[in-house]
Order: sequence, then structure tokens, then C-alpha cells
Amino acid sequence: MEESALVAGAVARDVAAFSALARLHQSRVRGLLLRLTRGRHALADDLAQETFLEAWRAIANFRGESSFSTWLYRIAYSRFLMHARRRKDEPLEDWQGEAPSGEGAAHARIDLERAMAKLSAPERAALTLCYALGLSNTEAALALDMPLGTVKSHVLRGREKLKAILGDPP
Amino acid sequence: MTDEDLDALLGAPLPELDTTVFSVTLMEAIARRRARPARILAWVMVGLLFATIAAAGVFGGLVANLNVMTDPLAIPAALALLTLLLSYSVLRSARE
Repeated sequence: MEESALVAGAVARDVAAFSALARLHQSRVRGLLLRLTRGRHALADDLAQETFLEAWRAIANFRGESSFSTWLYRIAYSRFLMHARRRKDEPLEDWQGEAPSGEGAAHARIDLERAMAKLSAPERAALTLCYALGLSNTEAALALDMPLGTVKSHVLRGREKLKAILGDPP
Repeated sequence: MTDEDLDALLGAPLPELDTTVFSVTLMEAIARRRARPARILAWVMVGLLFATIAAAGVFGGLVANLNVMTDPLAIPAALALLTLLLSYSVLRSARE
């Protein structure tokens, strides 16, 4: 079934349609949150659950002005920000994910995650949305609820920081 | 590191995560959320049932000419008890 049909079903409160949508998008939403939470799997999954529950609650408000995935990323990012505000005292500075196993690409990915962990949350979110998740800058601006220029500057600044960190490892 | 290297690194798709457990947990949470209004209603009905039983007791006492109403504390105490019962049932339903 096409995504638009699933979205229409979910808007009509069809649990099966929403379940299919959740299966389609959950890996990317969880991946985004995993990066935002600097590799904390349990926290990322909790926030992803909250994201999909909020999506289910508010699905009637989805008017198709953006793609469904962009709408989900927007909820996910706002859930992350709410969590970050609540836990302001808890320093989240290092990547807490798995240690590198294997060679080459696996090491490069872990290096990237560790470098990403040193960026600000908007920079991590903007880079992940625009590169790993393939959104345009305009779609990322919608997902992050930021002006387009702000997203572009987060992307540029994030890239510069990553280049400096990855080019000059500790 | 060149711009091309960085583009390639950033553009790599996020790792695929296992979806089975997450899907099951999510569907259970949605089912709980969908059942919530029914649970709230059930607990409110429990509260109302207690209120009705208490009112029936007071009415029975009046019919039997017991002087329950002459005690100045009887009505406030009964109202306080009913309020507590209703509050408890709403609280329980909200917590579930």
C-alpha cells in the first residue's frame, strides 16, 4: 500500500495503517534520536515511542503540508528538546554508543558519531536531516521549526567543526 | 579531510535498527492509550455507584425515620466521603 493511503487510513484512526507507517519510519526516527542523544539507545527509543504516540494523538492535524516523515522528524526533535530542557543538569557530551568493532567503515562511522557528539543539538539535527536522511534544507527547516537561513548556517558551522575534529583527532 | 570525504561520511545512511520489539511496544502503548477513555469511564462509574449506594442508605434511613439528618455533621461528612470516593476513582483512572 502506498504511503499516502496509509496516512489517509491513519488519519481515519486505522491502527493497522498507523502501525504500517510506524514500521516504515521507525528506524530513521530512532536513528535521528540516537544521534541527538549521543548514542543513548534506551533514551532514544523512549523518545521515539513518545514521538509515535504523539503522532498517533495528533494525526488528525497532519494536513500534508510537508511529507509524513518531515512531520515525524519535527515531533521527534521537539520531544528531544523537551527532554533536554528537563534534564539540563545532565551533561551529555560524549558518544555513548557501541565501541568500534571491525575495520575501515565501522571505525569511520564511530569516529563520525564521536565527532558529532561534540556539536550542538541543532547542528547534529540539521546535518543528520540534510545528509543521512536526505531532506532538503527547506524540509529540514520545517522539521526543526527554524528559518531556512538558520538551518543553512547550522549545516555550514557543523561541517566546519566536523572537518576540524576529524581532521585533527585527539 | 576533504569536502568529498566528509560528504560521503555524512551521507551514509543511518544504521538499520531492529524494529520488532519497538513495534510491539509501540502497539501496546497505543492500545493502552485507546483504552484510556473506557478505563476513566469505568472508574467514574465506580465512584458514582458508591455515591448512589450512599444516597440510597441515607434515603433508607429517612424512610425508616432514623434521625440521621439531625446530626449537624452527618451531611458534611457524607458529602466529604462522596467527594473523596469520586476523587479517588478519577485519580486511579488517570494513573492507569
